[in-house]
Amino acid sequence: MIEYAWLIPVFPFLAFLLIGLLPKRTLLWENGAGYAIAGAGGALVGGPEFTWLIIGDYEVTFGLWVDQLTAVMLVVISVVGTLVVVYSGGYMHEEGVGRRRYYAEIMLFISVMYGLVISDNYLQMFIFWELVGLCSYLLIGFWYEKPSAASAAKRAFIVTRVGDIMFMAGIIILLKYAGTLNFEELFAQHPQISAAGGPISKEMLTLATLMIFGGAVGKSAQFPLHEWLPDAMEGPTTVSALIHAATMVKAGVYLTARSYPLLIQTPDSLLVVAIIGGVTALLAATVALVATDIKRVLAYSTISQLGYMILALGAGGWLVIEGNEAGGYAAAMFHLMNHGFFKALLFLCAGSVIHAVGTNDMRLMGGLKKHMPITSITMLIGAIAIAGIPPLSGFWSKDEVLAAVYSSGEFHAVFFVLWAMGVATAFLTAFYMFRMWFMTFSGEQRSEYHAHESPKLMTVPLMILAVLALTSGFALFIGSGFDSFLEGSIEDLGHFEVLEPGELAVEIFTDPLTYVSIAVAVVGILIAYRIYFMAGFDRSVFGRGVSGWFQKTLENRWYISKFYDDFAYKGVYGLSLEADLFDRYVIDGIVNGFSYLGANTGNVMRKAQSGNVQRYASLIVLGMVLLIVFMLYILPWGGW
Amino acid sequence: MDIWNEVGWLLPQLILILFVLLLPAMDYLFRNDKRPLAWITLVPLLTLSALVVSWLFFGEGSFAASKVPYMQVDAFSGLFMLVFLVVGIVVVLSSPEFIKKDKNQGEYYALILLAITGMTVVAEAVDLIALFVGLEIAGISSFALAGFRKSEKRSSEAATKYFIIGGFSSALTLFSISLFYGVAGTTNIAAIAGELAAPSAWITESQPMLLLALVLLIAGLGFKIAMVPFHMWAPDVYEGAPTPISGLLAAASKKMGFAALFRVFLIGVLAVKTDWEVVIGAMAIITMTVGNLIAVSQTNIKRMLAYSSVAQAGYIMIALPVGTEYALAGGMFHILTHAFMKSGAFMVVAAMGVVMIGEKLDDFKGLNKRSPFLAFAMTIFLLSLAGIPPLAGFASKFVLFSSAVYTSLDPGPSWLIWLAIAGVLNSALSLYYYARVIKYMYMDKGPEETVKVPPMTAAAIVFALAMVFIIGLFPDQFVSVCQDAAGAFPGLPFGGPE
Repeated sequence: MIEYAWLIPVFPFLAFLLIGLLPKRTLLWENGAGYAIAGAGGALVGGPEFTWLIIGDYEVTFGLWVDQLTAVMLVVISVVGTLVVVYSGGYMHEEGVGRRRYYAEIMLFISVMYGLVISDNYLQMFIFWELVGLCSYLLIGFWYEKPSAASAAKRAFIVTRVGDIMFMAGIIILLKYAGTLNFEELFAQHPQISAAGGPISKEMLTLATLMIFGGAVGKSAQFPLHEWLPDAMEGPTTVSALIHAATMVKAGVYLTARSYPLLIQTPDSLLVVAIIGGVTALLAATVALVATDIKRVLAYSTISQLGYMILALGAGGWLVIEGNEAGGYAAAMFHLMNHGFFKALLFLCAGSVIHAVGTNDMRLMGGLKKHMPITSITMLIGAIAIAGIPPLSGFWSKDEVLAAVYSSGEFHAVFFVLWAMGVATAFLTAFYMFRMWFMTFSGEQRSEYHAHESPKLMTVPLMILAVLALTSGFALFIGSGFDSFLEGSIEDLGHFEVLEPGELAVEIFTDPLTYVSIAVAVVGILIAYRIYFMAGFDRSVFGRGVSGWFQKTLENRWYISKFYDDFAYKGVYGLSLEADLFDRYVIDGIVNGFSYLGANTGNVMRKAQSGNVQRYASLIVLGMVLLIVFMLYILPWGGW
Repeated sequence: MDIWNEVGWLLPQLILILFVLLLPAMDYLFRNDKRPLAWITLVPLLTLSALVVSWLFFGEGSFAASKVPYMQVDAFSGLFMLVFLVVGIVVVLSSPEFIKKDKNQGEYYALILLAITGMTVVAEAVDLIALFVGLEIAGISSFALAGFRKSEKRSSEAATKYFIIGGFSSALTLFSISLFYGVAGTTNIAAIAGELAAPSAWITESQPMLLLALVLLIAGLGFKIAMVPFHMWAPDVYEGAPTPISGLLAAASKKMGFAALFRVFLIGVLAVKTDWEVVIGAMAIITMTVGNLIAVSQTNIKRMLAYSSVAQAGYIMIALPVGTEYALAGGMFHILTHAFMKSGAFMVVAAMGVVMIGEKLDDFKGLNKRSPFLAFAMTIFLLSLAGIPPLAGFASKFVLFSSAVYTSLDPGPSWLIWLAIAGVLNSALSLYYYARVIKYMYMDKGPEETVKVPPMTAAAIVFALAMVFIIGLFPDQFVSVCQDAAGAFPGLPFGGPE
C-alpha cells in the first residue's frame, strides 16, 4: 500500500490542474470535491524511487518515505485541508470568478505539502519546501489589488526566504561531508556519522543541523523570524486556517522532527532549538494579550503554540540522549496534531464572525452570542481546548510538552527556566483566548451590524472540528497509545520505555505538575472573566505607569517589527541605494552595453535578412570561402 | 515468400509509399468533409511508431537487417525514424482544421508522408548516394508543401526561395559527393573512412580537394540544419509556409540534416578529425549565438521560433566536435525533445491561426484570458526550449552540455568546455525572448473574447505536452535508448558518467 503513497499528492495536484485549466463554466469543482484523499495507514518505510538526474557522483532521486511521523502529518493535512475547502464553498462565495484561482492555488498548496511530508531526501523536500513558500505567497496575496495584501505576501516570502537560504546551506554541508541527502542513508548511520573518523565532524554537523533548523525557524515563524505570520492575515481567513493549522508553518516543525536522528547527535543544536521555542512561545503570547484584531490574536497564539512544539522537540532530544525517553518528540507531534484541529477550528470560527460582521476589530464586535450560536459555541470549545482544560485535546498535549521539558531539566538547568516560561505561556494563553471570546461574543453590541449565523457549508466543518478538538486528545489512549505509535518512527535511536495507556493516565493524574498547568489555565480564564465579562472593571488602569509602558511595548510587538523596518529601510535600504548607484552605472552599464550590442547586432543582422534570394546564395558562397580561409590559414596559425 | 526476405527491411518505406499513392486518390472519396484523410494518414504513422517504440524501448520485435550495402537499419536509424514519425503525427493531427478550406488535401497528406519517407531513407543511408537520394525525396516534397497555398503570395514566395536555395545546396552536396568519390574511389561512408585512415599517395596529394569536399558538404548539410551562415532561408520559409508545415520543417526536416551530419562526420571523416572539429565547434557557437540574438528582435512568432530553432541546431552541433558516445546520445536526445517542444510550439501557433488570432508577438497579449489551454501549453513549450527543469528541454540540454564537460575532465582540459559554457550562456540569453512571450500571454491585456481550440489540434498539443513532461520527469529511459542508438556508431569513446 505504501508503494501507492505517491498518489497522495497527485490527487490534489490533478484537482489543481483541472480547476486551473478547465473552462470557467465548469466551476462544478468549486467545492473541491474533486479530490479524494488516500488516508494514512500506520506505515513502514518503502516505496519506489527513481533517479532523476545524475550530477557527478551524486544522484538526484525522487522517492517516498512514509513512516508514523508522515502518517500524523498526512492525517492533519487531509482532515484540515478537506474541511477548509468545504468551508471555502461558503466563505468565498462572493468572490465570483476569483474562486477559480483560489481553489487552484489551495489545491496546489495541499498537494505540495503532501509532497513535502512524503519526500525521502532533503533535496526533494527542499523543492517542495520552496513550492509551499510560493503557494503561501500566492494565497496571502490573493487580494493582490490591496496594497497591504501584496506587501504582506512579499513579506512572508522574503522573511521565510532567509530561513530557506539557511536550510539550503545545511543541505550543502550535508551533501559535501556526508555525501548523501537521502534520509535512509543519512539516518541509518546516525551513531557513526559524526563519530571520530566518521564522514562529518561534530562541529560541522552542529552547523548543518542549526542551518536546517534555521529553515524551520523561517517557515514555522519562530523568533526572530516570526513577524511575517501576523502580517499574513491579509489573505482570506480560510488561507490563514490552512497555513496555521495544516500546511506552511507545520512544515518547519515537521522538518525539525524529521531531522531528529541528526539533531540528537548535536546536543548544542538541541539547546538552541529548545531556547528559541521557549522564547517564541512566551514572547508571542505576550503580544497576543493586547492585540485587538481577532485574526492577529490567533496568529500570535499560533506562533506561541509552535514555540511549544519546537521547545518540546529541543527538550525531547535531550531526553532521548540522556534518558532514553521519546516523550518530548511524541508530545511535540501530538501537540501539532491537536493544534491543527483546534487552530483550524478557531480560524474558521473567526472567519465566520468576520463574514457576519465585516470587520476584524474585536472592539467593534461584542454580543454575537445570540446571533451566531453555533459559531460561538464551537469557538468556545476551541478556546477551552487551546487553554488546556481537561478533557479537551489541548490539555493532553500541552501537559505532555510541559512534562517533557520539566523532566529534561534533570540534564540541563536551562530546561527548568524554559519550563517556567512554558507554564507562564499556558497562563497567558488561557487569558488571551478568553479575552478574545468575551470581547467577541459576550456583552453589548458595540457597533452597527446585522449579524446572522453562517450557512451550513461553513458551520458543519466547524462542528466537525469542534468534535475533533474535544476528542483528539484521547488518541493518547487509543490502542497502544499515540506515543508508542509515533515512537516507531525513531525506534532506531534507542530503546524507549513506553507506558501502557492505563499507566499513562495514572501517571498524568498523579503528577502534581498536571495540576499546576490546569491551575494556571483556570486562573487565566478567571482573570479574563473578571476583566472582560463582568461589568465595572476599569481597564484604563493598565494604561498607567509601568504597565502602561509595558502595554505600549506589547502593542508595538516588542518593537521587533519596527526594528526590522528600521533596519530594512535605513540600514539595508541606505546600503542598497549606494549599491544601486554602483549597479546602475557600472553593472547596468555593462549589461546595457551588452544588450545594446545584442539588440543592435540583432537589428543589423536582421537587415542582412533582406528576403533577397540572390543575397542568400551569395552569403552561402561567402560562408564557404570564409570556412576555407579559416581551415587553411587560421587553424594552422592557431596551432591546430 | 522469398520476396519478403529481400524487401522486409524496407517495410516502413513501403508502407509509407503505399499510402502516398493511395491518398491523392482518396481525396475524391470525401467530397465535403476531408477530415477522414487525416485519419487515414495517421494509420501508417501510428502503426510504424508503435513498432519502433516497441523495438527501441521494450526490445520487442526488431526490423529486419538491410539487404543492400548502401542502407543500414540500426538503433540510430530507428531513433531518427521515431522522431520523424512522431513529428508527422503531431503535424497531421493539427492539419485538418488548418487547411480546412484548401484544395488538394489528399496531395498535402501524401506529400507529408513522402517527405517522411525521404527522411527515413536518410537516417538509414550509409552511402553518400543513398543519402543524397533521401535528401532529395524529402527536400522536393517539402518545397511543394511550403508552397501548398499557391494562391497565397507569402506561401509561394517562401516555396520559391526554399526551392532555389535548396537546389543550390543540393548542387553543393552533390559536388562534394563527387569530390569524395574522386579522392577515395567509393561513396560508402565507412569505406571512405577506411581510405582516409590509411592514405595512399593519391589521397595525400589531393588534400586540397578533400578540403573543398568537406566545406561543400558542411555548406550543403548546413543548409538543411540551418547552420549560420547557411540559415537565411529558414525564417522566410517558416514564416511563409502553412504553420503545420513550418513545424514539420523545424522539427523533422532539420533533424534529417543532423542524421546525415552524424553519419558522415562521425564515421566518414573521423580520420581528418582535427580539421573539422574545431570548425564545427566554432560554427556551433556562432550558430547558437546568432540564432538567439536575432530571435530577440523578432516581432513575428514564427520567425522567432525559426531563429530559436537555428539556435537549437547550434546546441545539437556540440555533439559533433565532442564526438563521444555520450555526446552523440545527448545530441540525439535533444533532437528527440526538440521534436516535441518545437512542433508543440508551432502547433500552438497553428491553433491560433485556425481561430484567427494571428501570428504577431502582439497577438499573444492576454492569451491566457482567451484560451488558458493555449497559453499554458505555449508556456511549457517555451520554458522547455529555454531548458527549465523539470521539462524535457532541461534534461536533454543537461546531457548534451555535460558531455562536453565530461570530455574536458577526462581525458583532460580541452577547448570543448567552451562549448558547454557557450551553450549555458546562450540558454540564459534565450530565456529573454521566451519569457517575453509568457509575459505577453499572462500579464498584458489583450482582446477579451475567448476562443475554442479544435479538438484534433488540441490532441496534437496535449500529446506533445505530455511528452515534454514525461521526458523531463523520467529522462532515464530515453537517455538509455539514445545511448543504444549512439552505440550503433563503432569506435566512439564513451565519455559519460558511469
